Amino acid sequence: MKIFSLAVVQAPPSKSCTILSSASDLSSFSFYQRGSVGEFLSFFTKTIAERTPQGQRQSVQENNYTAHVYNRGGAEQLAAIIVTDQEYPVRPAFSLLTKLMDDFVAKVPQTSYANPTAISFPEIETYLQKYQDPRQADAIMRVQQELDETKIVLHKTIESVLQRGEKINDLVDRSNALSMQSKMFYKTAKKQNSCCLIM
Amino acid sequence: MASAIGKDISSTGIKLGKLGQLAKRKTLFDDRPVEISELTYIIKQDIANLNKQIATLQAYVKQRNTQNTSKTPESKQLDEHNHNVVMLLQSKLADTSMSFKDVLEIRTQNMKESKDRTEQFMHTTSAATSQAPSNSLLFGNSQRQDPMGDGSKLRVDTKGKSRAVTPKNGDILALDLGSAEEGTALQNGDAFMQMQLVEQQTEYIQSRSTAIESIESTISELGQIFTQLAQMVAEQRETVQRIDADTVDIASNVSGAQRELLKYYASISSNRWLMLKVFGVLIVFFLIFILVS
Repeated sequence: MKIFSLAVVQAPPSKSCTILSSASDLSSFSFYQRGSVGEFLSFFTKTIAERTPQGQRQSVQENNYTAHVYNRGGAEQLAAIIVTDQEYPVRPAFSLLTKLMDDFVAKVPQTSYANPTAISFPEIETYLQKYQDPRQADAIMRVQQELDETKIVLHKTIESVLQRGEKINDLVDRSNALSMQSKMFYKTAKKQNSCCLIM
Repeated sequence: MASAIGKDISSTGIKLGKLGQLAKRKTLFDDRPVEISELTYIIKQDIANLNKQIATLQAYVKQRNTQNTSKTPESKQLDEHNHNVVMLLQSKLADTSMSFKDVLEIRTQNMKESKDRTEQFMHTTSAATSQAPSNSLLFGNSQRQDPMGDGSKLRVDTKGKSRAVTPKNGDILALDLGSAEEGTALQNGDAFMQMQLVEQQTEYIQSRSTAIESIESTISELGQIFTQLAQMVAEQRETVQRIDADTVDIASNVSGAQRELLKYYASISSNRWLMLKVFGVLIVFFLIFILVS
């Protein structure tokens, strides 16, 4: 599962969007395809952002690309789009979009929206790279994964405790037998003392 | 004021009864979804109103309490009476909201059944149109069942859906299935888009809640595993104590036996005088036999 691109777009409801910041990972395409794929992605991004009403989340599928878009509206009229392959889980995609937009709003002042090329938001690249493996990056998934690992460890522990129980049972039986035998040994030794006073 | 609240509660109860009756109707075509959703909305508003009224009544009672700080027994009784009245009203309101929730659950179940039956009857004609709603519903279902998207074995069931705020859930499900029926009837592409959008909105939140619930269940499982582990170790502790006692016994037995043997050895070595006497008697008998023969 991969993310192909991540973009923050200004989407005023009057149908003309401008991409404010974007990052893409085209390493899975051959060198000569990258240009056209990149253009396709940005076109896709803009079209979808224009077609999503404010305050809505939407997922669109196109061949083998899936785009998730969240148009937050609000004072800045921002929308965030992520284009992934079909395997990428949906819920972390949307939480990534929400996080990205919150971060963007915090870091980039609204005045620079008119000048998209001057906006510098390098965190978008880090987000893209980090979320290539959503299991690690998304908090909920990470917690779930750690819990599953802990469960596995605990299952192993319980198995070893069961084995320990078997061994302990074995030990108990043997120590019982040994105790019986040592008692007989003691009795025999004692009998020897008292019985034969001659020889 | 309290009497007004009581009257409102009783009237809300009556409306709720009517809604329950309507929800219980299992006929296929005479569903009257509009009335039901209207009634639901009205009842919700009534309950919210009643809540507010009870809150104001409580505040009023408290205010009067702080005003009359005299400790005469009559005023104390009055305070108690007021307090009891407020508690009574609150409990009645709580009962009403519980029954409201039950009715909504019945309603969603019935809607599901009716939708299934509708699909059965209208399967051939609506095969094409039901593609999209089944697509979005299945999409929605698969979203709900696989929020991690990694196929991990999560024990997510419909518990997640019914545990969400039930009026809202009831409304949304009613909306989904209602518009699904509407979709098959109208064959309108726009209805699907609307439905998909609305579904996705709540779907995201629902998928989050299911994911978190699965985390919660995993954590409780882990807790259970820990208790099992502790129990097993405690059982084994008793056995280990038995082994300890046995080993101590063995040690004492063996040391006792060694003592006896030492005593025996000592007695044997000191017994030589007796043995000399025994051997002396033997030699005497031996000599007698030789002299006789």
